[in-house]
Amino acid sequence: MDQMAFDVDKYTATSVSVNWSDLDLESFRDHPLNETSLRTLRYMTDVEYHTVCYTRDLLTTPSHKEADMSAFMTMWNREEFWHGEALSTVLGIHGITVDFDEVKAGRMKLGWKDRLDPIKQSVLGKIAGNDFVAVHMAWGAANEWSAIQAYNRMADLEEDPVLAELLKRIAKQEARHVAFYTSQARDRLAGSKKAQVLARFALGNFWAPVGSSIMEREEVVHVMNHLMSGPEGRKAARKIDAAISGLPGLQGLKIVEDSLDKLGIAA
Amino acid sequence: MTTIGEVGQRTRFDVREFARTARGNHRETLQLSEYALSPLNPESVRMVRYLGRLEGATMEHLRNLLVTATHKDARVTAFLVTWAFEKFWIADALDAVLEANGMERFQDVAEGKVRKSRSESADRRGPIRRALSAIRLGVPIVAVHTTTGLIDEWITRAAYLRLAAQSKSAALASTISMILDVKKRHQDFFDDESRRRLAESPRAAALTRKTLLTASWPIGAVDRAADDRSFFEEYVFGGDAGVASASEIEARVASLPGLDDRIGSAVARKLLP
Repeated sequence: MDQMAFDVDKYTATSVSVNWSDLDLESFRDHPLNETSLRTLRYMTDVEYHTVCYTRDLLTTPSHKEADMSAFMTMWNREEFWHGEALSTVLGIHGITVDFDEVKAGRMKLGWKDRLDPIKQSVLGKIAGNDFVAVHMAWGAANEWSAIQAYNRMADLEEDPVLAELLKRIAKQEARHVAFYTSQARDRLAGSKKAQVLARFALGNFWAPVGSSIMEREEVVHVMNHLMSGPEGRKAARKIDAAISGLPGLQGLKIVEDSLDKLGIAA
Repeated sequence: MTTIGEVGQRTRFDVREFARTARGNHRETLQLSEYALSPLNPESVRMVRYLGRLEGATMEHLRNLLVTATHKDARVTAFLVTWAFEKFWIADALDAVLEANGMERFQDVAEGKVRKSRSESADRRGPIRRALSAIRLGVPIVAVHTTTGLIDEWITRAAYLRLAAQSKSAALASTISMILDVKKRHQDFFDDESRRRLAESPRAAALTRKTLLTASWPIGAVDRAADDRSFFEEYVFGGDAGVASASEIEARVASLPGLDDRIGSAVARKLLP
């Protein structure tokens, strides 16, 4: 792990919770966001608060034994939690309360499928050993790229300067997460043909837009229609696909476009 | 967000405030240059390294908690995010102390073999078996996790205090005082959650009693080297002072809602060398 392009020590030393104290969020009282955006924002908030659940899936594989991975995940979790806090503050000004108990109710809906997920992940993790970490890293990269595009699209669509600035700050932190995941994925995929085959199979068959496993399908469709439909939306989707295709062994994958088609999102 | 509310007569632990005031990098406050003049003795170094390993194992511990119903409790997971962050920096502070004493960071030193004991098989379960058994247990498992978290805080607190006294190092004593201050809020959260959950649910109390009868300490010890564990037990709970310290923990465990003397002595027995 010494050859890593991503400097974990530097990352941990500079990791901070996203700041919004200098932003005039009160301006939303005079210029509130529209219903469509608030619904999307609510989705994003839930996804950010749920990050710790994804950690669980990562942790059930051999990756947790590596110090760099642990260090990154500790900071990553906290940054994402604060993204949730920032977004829920915006929602709060619009009279929408996201409290911890509501998040809990959301997780309860997952039922059996969710309970079995860590088991499934672990079994796969055991079988494929360290190569499976490569899959997780590629998966993580795809999710973080998606998050950046989603926040950028949201900022473009709303044309609200305060929201745009907040989303820009959040996206900037997501970019550091991308850097970690891609540097990990690239190294691990490059070093193992088996990892490449496995990653291609897992992403190609199982990847779905971030939040699909925790939100109702209609919410996923709403957010994808809002952010990823039409020519501009597709352009953003292709950017994510192009980035994923750049990883060793993943050339030609179009998982984002494919998932949009599957959800019936108009191009 | 309903992070503040009344639990009986007490104010509930404010998770949001805890997250907002999390304490990170401590490197500037560690008086590291002091160790050049008065380095730590080998026993103190060994304790610092072992405590670093325990504090640094948050991701392993999180995994064990999150494959159960505990991951569905957003208040608990919100706490754990900041808890892991603070423990990361406690481990980093201990690493800095090791380096200032001319030693390698704890993760760079190979660990010995783990202790082989059939009675610890429950603590040694992997995520798959934990996830499977947790399906049956449901929400009461959260009480088990917060109560073991609380007892773990009592035990590590005893260990830090012992190290501060034995090391005869003012710099280390000051670092330990800072660490205990950070950990105080972790203890407060676990205390708050455990008492409430144990008092509210007989099933949670029963499940906790059952777990505590065989639990090994501190949390995560089963993954640590056998000889380091023996060293820890002797160092912290050996001799008259150690026995007294274990008895104090025994009494505290016994007085938790729904627990009793039998559970207290089961925990204390596991602490002694």
